[in-house]
Amino acid sequence: MIAMDLMHHSSCFLLPTIPLQRRPSLTYALLVLNQNLPRFTPLLWNHAQLHLCADGGANRLYDEMPLFFPQEDASDVRRRYKPDVIKGDMDSIRREVLEFYASLGTEIVDKSHDQDTTDLHKCVTYIRDSASGLDKSNLCVLVVGALGGRFDQEMGNLNVICRFSSMRIVLLSNDSLIHLLPRTYCHEIHIQTSVEGPHCGLIPIGTPSKSSTTTGLQWDLNNTAMEFGGLVSTSNIVKEEKVTVQSDCDLLWTISIKKL
Amino acid sequence: MDLMHHSSTFLLPTIPLHHRPSLTYALVVLNQTLPRFAPLLWKHAQLRLCADGGANRVFDEMPLLFPEEDASDVRRRYKPDVINGDMDSIRKEVLDFYRSLGTKIIDKSHDQDTTDLHKCITYIWDFAPDANKSSLCILVAGALGGRYDHEMGNLNVLYCFSSLRIVLLSDDSLIYLLPRTHHHEIHIQTSVEGPHCGLIPIGVPSRSSTTTGLQWNLNDSIPDYSFLLSLAAKL
Repeated sequence: MIAMDLMHHSSCFLLPTIPLQRRPSLTYALLVLNQNLPRFTPLLWNHAQLHLCADGGANRLYDEMPLFFPQEDASDVRRRYKPDVIKGDMDSIRREVLEFYASLGTEIVDKSHDQDTTDLHKCVTYIRDSASGLDKSNLCVLVVGALGGRFDQEMGNLNVICRFSSMRIVLLSNDSLIHLLPRTYCHEIHIQTSVEGPHCGLIPIGTPSKSSTTTGLQWDLNNTAMEFGGLVSTSNIVKEEKVTVQSDCDLLWTISIKKL
Repeated sequence: MDLMHHSSTFLLPTIPLHHRPSLTYALVVLNQTLPRFAPLLWKHAQLRLCADGGANRVFDEMPLLFPEEDASDVRRRYKPDVINGDMDSIRKEVLDFYRSLGTKIIDKSHDQDTTDLHKCITYIWDFAPDANKSSLCILVAGALGGRYDHEMGNLNVLYCFSSLRIVLLSDDSLIYLLPRTHHHEIHIQTSVEGPHCGLIPIGVPSRSSTTTGLQWNLNDSIPDYSFLLSLAAKL
């Protein structure tokens, strides 16, 4: 058996405070796409060092952040939750929202000429290549608004995390989070039971898997084959605080987020 | 290869008489917020099933789509023929209500190996006479959104039953499989769907596919893998 490097995963970004760890800690970037903000968006915002909106995601921030702080003045909330960058093809962002954030110093990167890539793709590329002042050695991109809505867009977003498989990118909704487990690593997933689980799944999203093995799940895989049209591990349950996964292909890990 | 025709006539108020293909519809309601066109799908269907907690949705939300009517009347009118599943989500009063109206209750709580959708499709498959299977189309509401592992499990059901027409519907989109064994003609109902669409090779990469009629057509040779077609719903 080939010895593979270990890759650790943990949803500390869903905790109010990220615990100090022995392992190198991650730098978070938050990306807001154009869907209803999940209820924990302010929490993710606090953990992130870089805050981007993809096009209409800026409308969501403008309209919905004040709703999380009903006792505060909407303008104050908007100023506090000001994105560092707004990027994309600019066909969804409202004019007054664009002007509001531009006047506060948000960098506006207009890619309306580029119709070949999705807004998520443009933003991930920006984070990877351009964002200055960001420690990228241990970067994790948190994305809200990538799931639900139009199915073709959801699939396009899924494709982005498959294409940028060497980056840590987590897609989050009110109900679930998903991220890739690249086949080139053995994976240890440290379950934060206060905020996630127990429902989980492992999905062979791009190619059938001839062999996947897990520990820590109610229905563990043991050199088990998985493919669409056959077995796909869904409605599984996390049993231990540490789940391990090893596979011959890239798998998508998904776990439910607790409604607190 | 044989030609397979597709058309979202089930989203039209009335299905044109001589429309091809002529299909028999079954409706499965899963446990998510009902799409706004659920009554329309209900009307076209000859068989209506709820998967477990889908019955809660019909009970709670159908009356909301008819706010000027009495809730009890709406519930009686939209009575499922069958409630099927492992029964861990349906509320007791909902179960009792539909049972008292004559709904067939199929308790599959012993079966933890398949999803509620899978159980419902199996039921429909077993129930439909062989002669009618090729003209059957199963419409599913509530299969997208919500918990992501559920969504993926529901997509997998399309692949597991690739010889059956199954359409997953949400407020925003509809999706169905285009099996590799056929050429496909999709007749777009522009009053109710589009223009946004997509072709997704889920689970297996496609080496080559060809399309016509799209803004960005694929141009290679014959498709050799099954695709998911996704169309935006614009009701």
